[in-house]
Amino acid sequence: MKKSYIIGIVVIAAAFAIIVSTVSKSSTYADFGTAADHPGKVYHVVGTLNLDRPFEYDPEVNANIFGFFMKDNNGVEYKVLYNGTKPQDFEKSEQIVIIGKMKDEVFVASDILMKCPSKYAGNEMQQQNLPNP
Amino acid sequence: MEYLGEQLIYGRIGNLLIAVSFAAALLAVCAYLFNMKRPEDAAWRRVGRISFGLHAVSVISIFGVLYYLIVNHRFEYYYVWQHSSTILPLRYIMSCFWEGQEGSFLLWTFWHVVLAVFILRRGGTWEPPVMAVIMMVQVFLCSMVLGVYLGDFRIGSNPFVLLREHPEMANLPFASMPDYLDRIEDGRGLNPLLQNYWMVIHPPVLFLGFAATLMPFAFAVGGLLSGRVTEWIRPALGWAYFGVMALGMGILMGAAWAYEALSFGGFWAWDPVENASLVPWLTLVGAAHVMIIQKRNQESLLSSYLLCVITFILVLYSTFLTRSGILGDTSVHAFTDLGMSGQLLVYMGFFVLLAVVLLIRHRKSVIRRNPEEHATSREFWMFVGMLVLAISATQITFTTSLPVINKIFGTNMAPPAEPVEFYNSIQVPVAVIICMLVGIGQFFKYKRSDVRKVMQSLVVSAAASVIITVAVAWAMGFTRIHYIALLFASIFSVTANADYLFRVLRGRLRHSGASIAHVGIGLILLGTLVSNARSNIISNNVLNIDLGEDFPNNENIMLVRNDTLRMADYYVTYREKRREGVNIFYTIDYLERREDGTYEKAFTLEPRVQLNARMGNVAEPDTRHFPDRDIYTHVTYADLETGGLDDDRAYQEPREWTVRLGDTIINSNSVMVLRSLNKSPDTTRWTVSGSDIAVSALLQVSDVNMKGYTAEPVFVIRNNIAFTIEDVLDELGLKIGFTRIDPGTEQFTITVAEKKGNKKDFIIMKAIVFPYINILWTGCIFMIIGTAMAARRRFRQARQD
Repeated sequence: MKKSYIIGIVVIAAAFAIIVSTVSKSSTYADFGTAADHPGKVYHVVGTLNLDRPFEYDPEVNANIFGFFMKDNNGVEYKVLYNGTKPQDFEKSEQIVIIGKMKDEVFVASDILMKCPSKYAGNEMQQQNLPNP
Repeated sequence: MEYLGEQLIYGRIGNLLIAVSFAAALLAVCAYLFNMKRPEDAAWRRVGRISFGLHAVSVISIFGVLYYLIVNHRFEYYYVWQHSSTILPLRYIMSCFWEGQEGSFLLWTFWHVVLAVFILRRGGTWEPPVMAVIMMVQVFLCSMVLGVYLGDFRIGSNPFVLLREHPEMANLPFASMPDYLDRIEDGRGLNPLLQNYWMVIHPPVLFLGFAATLMPFAFAVGGLLSGRVTEWIRPALGWAYFGVMALGMGILMGAAWAYEALSFGGFWAWDPVENASLVPWLTLVGAAHVMIIQKRNQESLLSSYLLCVITFILVLYSTFLTRSGILGDTSVHAFTDLGMSGQLLVYMGFFVLLAVVLLIRHRKSVIRRNPEEHATSREFWMFVGMLVLAISATQITFTTSLPVINKIFGTNMAPPAEPVEFYNSIQVPVAVIICMLVGIGQFFKYKRSDVRKVMQSLVVSAAASVIITVAVAWAMGFTRIHYIALLFASIFSVTANADYLFRVLRGRLRHSGASIAHVGIGLILLGTLVSNARSNIISNNVLNIDLGEDFPNNENIMLVRNDTLRMADYYVTYREKRREGVNIFYTIDYLERREDGTYEKAFTLEPRVQLNARMGNVAEPDTRHFPDRDIYTHVTYADLETGGLDDDRAYQEPREWTVRLGDTIINSNSVMVLRSLNKSPDTTRWTVSGSDIAVSALLQVSDVNMKGYTAEPVFVIRNNIAFTIEDVLDELGLKIGFTRIDPGTEQFTITVAEKKGNKKDFIIMKAIVFPYINILWTGCIFMIIGTAMAARRRFRQARQD
């Protein structure tokens, strides 16, 4: 067999292996229920903040832990502990994605992504500086 | 209804110009295609050239009209209102063109026009087919700004839409006010994040890079169209290297911007859009190399075609990713969806189909039975390198496309939770192999080489690399094996190419482009490795208890104003904050301890928080550059609401202290001691009534710098009612009262109210040392100079043909 065929097959196999490993290693979007069923497994959970319950952030004790309560899209609420500082404008976020795993009835997040309403050019923002009767 | 003060004529001119540019591009496509079929018929070529001229003038005029509208703040136009404001500094006016989708399409169109002028002047017989392809692309790009409705389907988004006619605005009350224009306060303004010098140059350079990828594609497709299946390689080669340079420069400028102005702590974050522009660069590098093989010995025609086509399609795909809204919030670059994803897919689909159909039609001449490349030939190892790049591109593309895959297959795969580790697991081994190949490649000869000679010539640089690697690994404490492998490989690629440059080429400048660019690539990877793998977060929160493995991040530290904390070799003080426009600057002094125990200011950094109503508040770092390292500082959290600037002057609830003479009261920024009582206080401080009995307390106050003050609040009894005349210490933000005397126990009640700013004024910050990051930037310069030289050489060769 020709060298180029062998190399070609190796490359295709490698590319295939990468795709398979990406799929198998990739975390999935899930709700709190699924995360609670598989403690220790990493999930992305999408939900909204519960602003009725207070944030826990006391930088004098530890600047790297921020606690809050989040409802997932099914309305299930869990406490979330995020290993980082409180993101700026956190309370204004419309929707958040937390990345992490469930541990002892608390979701331990290593990362937070926020959807800011303003980024979606919400009405309030859209109409800034426009005349009103 | 008559609206007052609108200047509608500019919009009409603008729309006319868009229509002309679109129609002229279409006409040029036809004319050049006819001319291609009948080269002897000069009339069609003339028509093509005139249409191109008309198109070019229109595109530049559209730019001019939009520029005029922005500079003159014509807010009756939605685009102007949305992307600019009267307070926008003139130097950022151009940025308005790339904040919006319409403007960035115009920019892209503009670069194509500029590059097409070179084809017109130097293209020769290649002019008809290549121009036909370029103008096809222009037809699609112009359609992106048409804003015409076909039934319910809107084609393109028009930059000259009126504010009151824009779909989001038409139902608002102002749209029915004749004098609305006078009542508009200002435009929405440019996103403050773009008000940065890198953002003035990064987008146009990146778009030049995107535009440059069209040229090899246009030659490839033009070659197929005109039946010159192999000849297109030579004239396209210069463009391929030009694209490698321009796109590489655009990406690296983006990295520099991220490092300077974004707060993720580095220059590369594997952000989907960064990835989406990196992948076409990788494939373009692949294309340029296989085209050299093809030019040398006609052995890689199919891969030349495929890589040129894939590169261009991937650029369109990256446009699709950024503009369709499919990435959601996973990227800083995402534009809001303007409903043009369908159109972008048609655009992409058309060119994929065009290329595929043409390749199938010419399959016999494209796919050739080639003699096997010899394992000791340069082209063999170049080819292996290109395949390794393909593996790298596969991983990045697949992962970046997860949102698209989810959409198509209804899956719910999420992007990797730890992107850096995820990408490194593949990209580090890839980088090691690429560096080794870059090192050895040029020592092999085309066709066949003497392996022993190759080995002999590599011995010196390999030995030197081993010594340097051992020294660096030992000095910087590298332990992980794959990092040491990359350290060696990148050093080897630098030394081997430098060796080739001086020993084999003896500095012959014309041929040294490749070696210089390869030295650059080696330095870029070396700099990335050293600065990132050995970066040191010096703001570690040492006081905190270990929270266990679930909370490994201890990178942020709290700094109260005027407190000093030790961070590595520095003592760091948060001194003050001040507001300038949308930015709040935090002044942070880095002090060094001298031998005599005093502290000396080494430098000051001013990271800031930008109050960005559009994207939420954004923290921008500040970095001190030294030749051997950078010290990067950014504010990760500041209490903008309660400790913010506006209510700094308000006081908190007073705190009561019951003390005896000589006791100490502790405030957040000072201590005070009750020294004595004064039975005849200064009566000018309040309106005295005859029956008043007054006593004042003398307090000696000293702040953290041991500066002394005195305070003298007064206790007054008038008609059996007690009250206090407070004393205010403005410098310390303290309001001190004297509210009770207990004669039995000789205890006195002192109240202290502190300004909110006093206590709450702290920041949470993160400081990182990036060692030797200048190696990276030096590498960038080498890479850009090297590819520019290569492009120049290939352009020259093409002209000599």
